[in-house]
Amino acid sequence: MTLSSIKKIALKVVCFLFASIYLISFNLHANDAQMKSLINDITKMYMSSMVYVFKSQPIINDKNIDKKELLGKRFIDNIKQTYLAKYNEEFPKEDHFVKTVLLQAMVEVMDDNKALLYDDEIGFKGIIPATFAFQLSAKLSTKGVGLKIKFTRTAGQIRNKLNRPDSWESSVMKKIQNNPKIYYDENALLNGRPAIRQFTPLPMAHYCLACHGIPDNNPLNAGKKRSEWTNIDITGFEMENWTIDDFGGGVSISIEKSVLE
Amino acid sequence: MVFAKKVKKIYCLSVLSLFSFVSLSQTLTVGFIDFPPHIALHEEYKDSPLYQYINEVFLQADFNVVYVKLPRERAFTELIKGRVDVLMPTSIPSNHETVRTLSFPLFHTVPGLCFKKENYIPILSATHRFEKLNIGVPAGSQLVAALTDSQANLIPLKGEDVTSRGVELTQRGRLDAFYHPSPVKVYHQENPLYKEVACSYFHGYSTPIYIAIANTMSKETFTAINQIFQKAMLEEPYEYYFAMRK
Ligand code: HEC
Repeated sequence: MTLSSIKKIALKVVCFLFASIYLISFNLHANDAQMKSLINDITKMYMSSMVYVFKSQPIINDKNIDKKELLGKRFIDNIKQTYLAKYNEEFPKEDHFVKTVLLQAMVEVMDDNKALLYDDEIGFKGIIPATFAFQLSAKLSTKGVGLKIKFTRTAGQIRNKLNRPDSWESSVMKKIQNNPKIYYDENALLNGRPAIRQFTPLPMAHYCLACHGIPDNNPLNAGKKRSEWTNIDITGFEMENWTIDDFGGGVSISIEKSVLE
Repeated sequence: MVFAKKVKKIYCLSVLSLFSFVSLSQTLTVGFIDFPPHIALHEEYKDSPLYQYINEVFLQADFNVVYVKLPRERAFTELIKGRVDVLMPTSIPSNHETVRTLSFPLFHTVPGLCFKKENYIPILSATHRFEKLNIGVPAGSQLVAALTDSQANLIPLKGEDVTSRGVELTQRGRLDAFYHPSPVKVYHQENPLYKEVACSYFHGYSTPIYIAIANTMSKETFTAINQIFQKAMLEEPYEYYFAMRK
């Protein structure tokens, strides 16, 4: 073998190596982008469902209206509309099975509430964004698809014990509490398995204070003498005295990486 | 979609082996236990969503299926003796650990409390509201921590028909509420008791409900049924089918 042929072979090998390194890294980046886009879509789909449940309080609690808008395909269509209005973009395509599972779980949760929705002897039904979110989380945890969604806040003033933050969530909230922004972690763990996780803070709004604020904010106290005021909100919890400047908690979403492969 | 792909692959492979082992017109005895609103045995059970879903699944496999209605108390004996091949829907009773089930649960059930309408508590994570309430609990039944850790007075309910007893005592004001492992059986629109009580749920404490299989069933038949069921559940999970029914 001549020196020049060895050189040629060496050159080919080097070229091949570079090409594969380039391809692998391109692929990794493509994967990163896909993972991020999936978790973003899931977050926004979830947020839109909460907003729709919020907007539907009058329908939910009315004793005489039909509840069709809250059930089955109609419910999903309404969430899609809400998404469009909220984010000014088309609802994500169902191009990954976790999205399908999420939408199915939303329908299942509302169906679980069907008897209550149609109960014309119950006024306030307690189907609010927070309880819908929790039911959805509980439902998803039975699906075994490696998708976990949680509505949580800094430990200490948690209403539902099962919403308590885990250590990842606590440390993320500590970091972003004073400057709330989306936190994405592509190298986290879920149930001891590699996962991507994202925490999306929920901005505090005036209407949150109707339940989480001070008795002044409690609609149950409207028109009553101060001595008759209660610090128990309409859902039966003690109000936390939050103000509009407090941290509102947020939505924590985790997807196991095995689901993404 | 890895999982779905894998299942598809296993499915395709096993379809081949399935046909060689399972005679196409094999008779399968399927026992149903009453579990309204999924399967209501006091009515025409063929109208029940669970029957319709399952029948569709078995039809695809060309089994010759015979359905029987079974009282809860006798159902497991029938399964263990091999007098029924398949039994549903059922949680795994603690004294029957050896019972075989298909690998996916059929659906999940969530425990809860049933109240007289005017005393309804919609959100059960507000456990502080249970303080001093008299809550009837079926004697010897397993309860959720949210209830046992609360300040409620738990009053054991005895007898054959604990639900009727619970309803009666809440109506008379002797109880504020009673615990039910699956209030959906009571609180659904087709049930006359829907007018008497309103139930809410301990979300986050669900129990999987399975399709149990007799130990006498051959491995090949078991595999065949399991594959068909898995495929159906991936295409349309039963809980979603149930939620979308008209
Ligand atoms: C109608 C009353 C009501 C309103 C309005 C309300 N919440 Fe809540 N919130 C609740 C209840 C009840 C829970 C507990 C839900 C459960 O049991 O899972 C809760 C739970 C939460 C949680 C989860 C952690 C926990 O304590 O369990 C966060 C975070 C939260 N709320 C933030 C907000 C924010 C931010 C807003 C406004 C955007 C808001 N809430 C509006 C009643 C309310």
